[in-house]
This record gives sequence, C-alpha cells and structure tokens, in this order.
Amino acid sequence: MTSKEMVAAEAQRQQSLIAALWSADSKALAIAARSLPCQNQAVAAERGLQAYRANAHAHAARALQAACPTVSALIGEQDFAHLAVEHWLACPPRRGDLAQWGASLGDWLDQHPQLADWPYLGDCARLDWACHVAASAADAHFDAGSLSLLADTDPAHLRLVLKPGVAVVVSAWPIVSIREAHAHPEGSAERDLALAQARDALHDGRAENALVARAAFDVSVTAIDAATARWTNELNPGCSLAEALDAIALDSTEESRDASQPRMPQDRGFDFGAWLAMAITTGWLHQVIGLDTGGDASTDAVPEASPVGSSNDSAFGSTTH
Amino acid sequence: MSGTRAGIGLRAEHHQRLLMERPAIGFVEVHSENFYADGGGALAALARTREVWPVSLHGVGLSLGSAIGVDEWHLDRLARLVERIDPVRISDHACFARAPRLRQAAHVGVDAGAVDGGAVVHGNDLLPIGFNPSSLDILVDNVSRVQDRLRRPLLVENLSAYLAYDDDSIAEPDFLSALCGRAGCALLLDVNNLMVNALNRRAPDPIADCCAFVDALPPHVVGEIHLAGYCETPDLVIDDHGSAVRPAVWAVYEHALQRFGAVPTLIEWDTDLPALDVLLAEAARADDRLARVGR
Repeated sequence: MTSKEMVAAEAQRQQSLIAALWSADSKALAIAARSLPCQNQAVAAERGLQAYRANAHAHAARALQAACPTVSALIGEQDFAHLAVEHWLACPPRRGDLAQWGASLGDWLDQHPQLADWPYLGDCARLDWACHVAASAADAHFDAGSLSLLADTDPAHLRLVLKPGVAVVVSAWPIVSIREAHAHPEGSAERDLALAQARDALHDGRAENALVARAAFDVSVTAIDAATARWTNELNPGCSLAEALDAIALDSTEESRDASQPRMPQDRGFDFGAWLAMAITTGWLHQVIGLDTGGDASTDAVPEASPVGSSNDSAFGSTTH
Repeated sequence: MSGTRAGIGLRAEHHQRLLMERPAIGFVEVHSENFYADGGGALAALARTREVWPVSLHGVGLSLGSAIGVDEWHLDRLARLVERIDPVRISDHACFARAPRLRQAAHVGVDAGAVDGGAVVHGNDLLPIGFNPSSLDILVDNVSRVQDRLRRPLLVENLSAYLAYDDDSIAEPDFLSALCGRAGCALLLDVNNLMVNALNRRAPDPIADCCAFVDALPPHVVGEIHLAGYCETPDLVIDDHGSAVRPAVWAVYEHALQRFGAVPTLIEWDTDLPALDVLLAEAARADDRLARVGR
C-alpha cells in the first residue's frame, strides 16, 4: 500500500469502530465486532466493544442528567438513563465536550412516539437546557452608569444588551412551576407542596413562559407574560431600542398607533418602564449602549435571547478517563 | 532529595476544603473540557485554585489520533483556557474519538436514515489507534498542529485499551518514542494503563511486562506520571479510576522513577470519589517514593 492508502485504511478503521459503537443493539455489536481486525487478541473484540459502549452510555446518562435535571426527575432517573442512551444513538455528539451535547433533546422528545402522553417534556427540556447554558455563560456585570443614555439619547441610537445566558422559553405548559417543584430537595414538604401545585397548574392548562438569567453564579428562572417574552426576544444583537419597541408594538394587539410618530420607551402595549425595573433587579440587563459610539459591547460576548447555545454545567463536569 | 510532590484531581466535592486547608500537594489536575465554558462558577473556582497551586490541564477530547484531524472548535476552547489558567502542563491521549459516520450503517443494525450519515461524530471516549506508520504520521501531524497553536509542548498519554489490532506493526513504546522525537512532545506515562493492558493481554508476569515497557522508553521523555486504581471483571480489567493504587502498580511506579527520575505524579481517582483525606494519603504514598529518587 502507498502511504496515502495506509492513512485511508486508518481512517476507515476509525470510522468502522465509531459505527460499531453506535450499533443499535448487542446483536449488531457482535456482527460489527467480527469486522474489526482484532480477532487474534486475548480480549474478544465484542467484549472490548461492550466495555466502550457501556462507558459511552454511562457518559450519556451522566451528561444529560447534569444538563436536564427536571426531565430526569419527571420520568425517573433510571428511565431517563435509558432515554439518554436512545438520544445518544439518535443524535450523536459532535464535540469532545459533553456539556455541549443535549441541545436538541427538547425537539427530539417532542417527536418521541412513546412520550406522547407527556407533551410538556420537550419544553421542560428546553428550559433545563437554557439554564444549563446560562450557568456557564460569560460573566457580566450590570453597567448602571449606562442607564443615563436612556434619558438623553434617541432610542433609534440605543441598544439594550442583555447579560450572556439570558434566554426565553415560551410554553403552553406550566414549565416554571414544574422546574421549581423538582428543584426542592427530595422528600421535603416544600417539594410535595410545589409538586401538587404544579400538577394543579398542569390540570388547569396554565401556560408559563420562562426567562432564564444568571445573577453572579446563580441561575434564576422567572415566569414572564407573553409581551415580556416577545420583547426580550426582540432585543437581539443589532436591533436598536426603537426597532425593538416598534416590533413589540406591531406584535401587540394595540395596532392603532400612528406609525409616523416616533416611538418612545414608555409606549403603550408593553410597559417598558416596568420591564426595565425588573431587568435591573433580576439581573437580566447588562448595559445600554449607544449605537453611534459602539459602547463597550465588544468586551463581552454579545448575548442572544435564545435558549440555544453552548455550556458546561456548574459543577466540575463529569468526564472520567 | 527531590522537591517534586504528587498532585491530585480537583473535584467540586473537595474544592472548598482544599482551598481552606491548602495541603502540600504539588499540583492539581483537571479535565480541560470541564472548563471550556465562557464563564460561570466552575471556571471561577479553577481560577481561585490556580492562585494556590499549579494546574495541569489534562484533556480527554482532542482526539489527537483522528485521521480527520483536530476539531478547530476544540482547539480554540483549549487555547482560551490555556490563556486563562497558564497551566504547568497540558496533556491529552494517544487515541482517537472523532470520525465521520458511515453512510451505510445497516450492517451494524442502525437505521442510517435515523442519523446524520457522513457527519462527524465525537465518541467522547479514548479509542485505540493502530500502532503503524500511518497512525504515527496522523498523530505527529495533529500533535504538531496543537503545539503550534498553543505555542507550548504537549504531553501525550498512553492508553488503556480494550481492543488491540492484529495488524499493529510498531511496538507501543517505540511508537510513543517516535512520536516524541518527531513532534517534540513529551509523554504522560500512565502506569496503571500499562498494568491494565498487561492484565488484559494475559501477560504471564504483568509487572515484568510493564517494567519492560518503561525500559523501552528514552529516559528523558516522560513529563508526568498517572497512577490510579482498576477493577477486575471476570473477562476484562477496567481502568475505572475508582479505587486505591494497586501494589503491582506501585512496584512499576518505583521502577519508572528509577528510570525517569522524580517526575510529577498524579493520583487519578474519578469514580467512587473518596474523602479528601484518603486522596491526600494516596498522594503522600507517591511523595514517599518521589522523595527517594533525585533528579
């Protein structure tokens, strides 16, 4: 073989081993083992593959459990571990950092045929993931001094920058109540009470939108109304305060305004003042920047109000090798 | 007497007490990937730790042996962490984990349509590469790529492997020596991995087998040593890092110190994590042996 062919053979070997590890079941694994050039070794190839596969599946369960504790609590740790393996096989990790794996769990759960009786699981997973992302988002402090720009600058030349990790999860289910209930210690009276309340909320068909943020190193989840959810999503990078206000006004049911008039922060349909006060006290807001001057937004990662992102968990991780 | 002291892994369960009591350990080691976040509590804790002890960054995901090369995303994150922490050493493994999915996966019973055929998958494990000239070329290229980016030498660790290939054409110590010579990297010698492999090969005299491996390496090539425990199943020894270092591994370690001198040594204990005192006592056992050799 030429050296190019030898490298190609090595690539093929690696591809075959990865494929073997993603075998659907033990029978498929045994077939895959026979195709590997490991037939004259003391340890049977099938046994070796089993060891690697068991290790990978344990990684899958541990990583997803750390990222999505509410979903795990909802369906039980053991069943969740099986589900994690199923997800691992269907949606393999792309990166060598397992904290990055699991972003698609919510969408995958939505489509899972055996979970049709749990229609809120997907939203719970998206909320868990948003919290997982927020826990390791870039650190940022509130720039109180930048608020003065709101008093003396045209909103068309301003932008509100939310803290990294701020995310909105819109849901038709009481996902905030469900998450909070499962965050109480197992067996505690608070948990029992909160679980009962969450069950009532589910029964009553209560919808909750969640806003995820981080104050210092603590992740917070706040139930927000639909207007606040829409508004927070409008504050994406590049959008001026005026554009965000226009968008929220268009979204709102109050469509009767004169579009030719300049829009001010205190416009109706959405209470900007109340939102701002809450954004400051709850730690959502990072800073106000002037679009002409550019502010100092470049000093931090510009956040997106989106539940999709990348993260590690707040513990020291779970890799074991 | 050498001043080299053993290190321990940094664990969330031990972190607070460790910082309060500040025991005399040589360094702490972390898995690099656990600190790839943009910010947050874990990273802040690592930064505080770095103020007290040198930190060794030990990667498990670079996939240095992958024929498709190193993931630039991964390398970016590692470079950022190196910048932040200024580690005393940076290491990863002589293994692969990344490969494109086979488009036709029917032979292993997977519905090829159910997965993204052709897309790169990261197995998040330490999978064995062949010991042959082409896998050596791949490893040398990837290690060089990482070192060029980090502008620092890398330490590459020998694996414990549950698969071995019939067509290997280079002995493992020769393979690793050639890697160090060609890429300018050093070795992270995991003595427990040597023992696990010897036991799984059913070596008649595992200690002698491991010592022969040590003797086949150049004397100045090892930059760090790992020690750990393993567990035995009826048909396979598993490198689970879940118990104390075995007497046979201590014996090979002592032999390695004779050859390599007082090399910084890590007690790896990742599963069934013991109390901090137990971990520190294990590190003290390594310290005793380090103190007996000079460099």
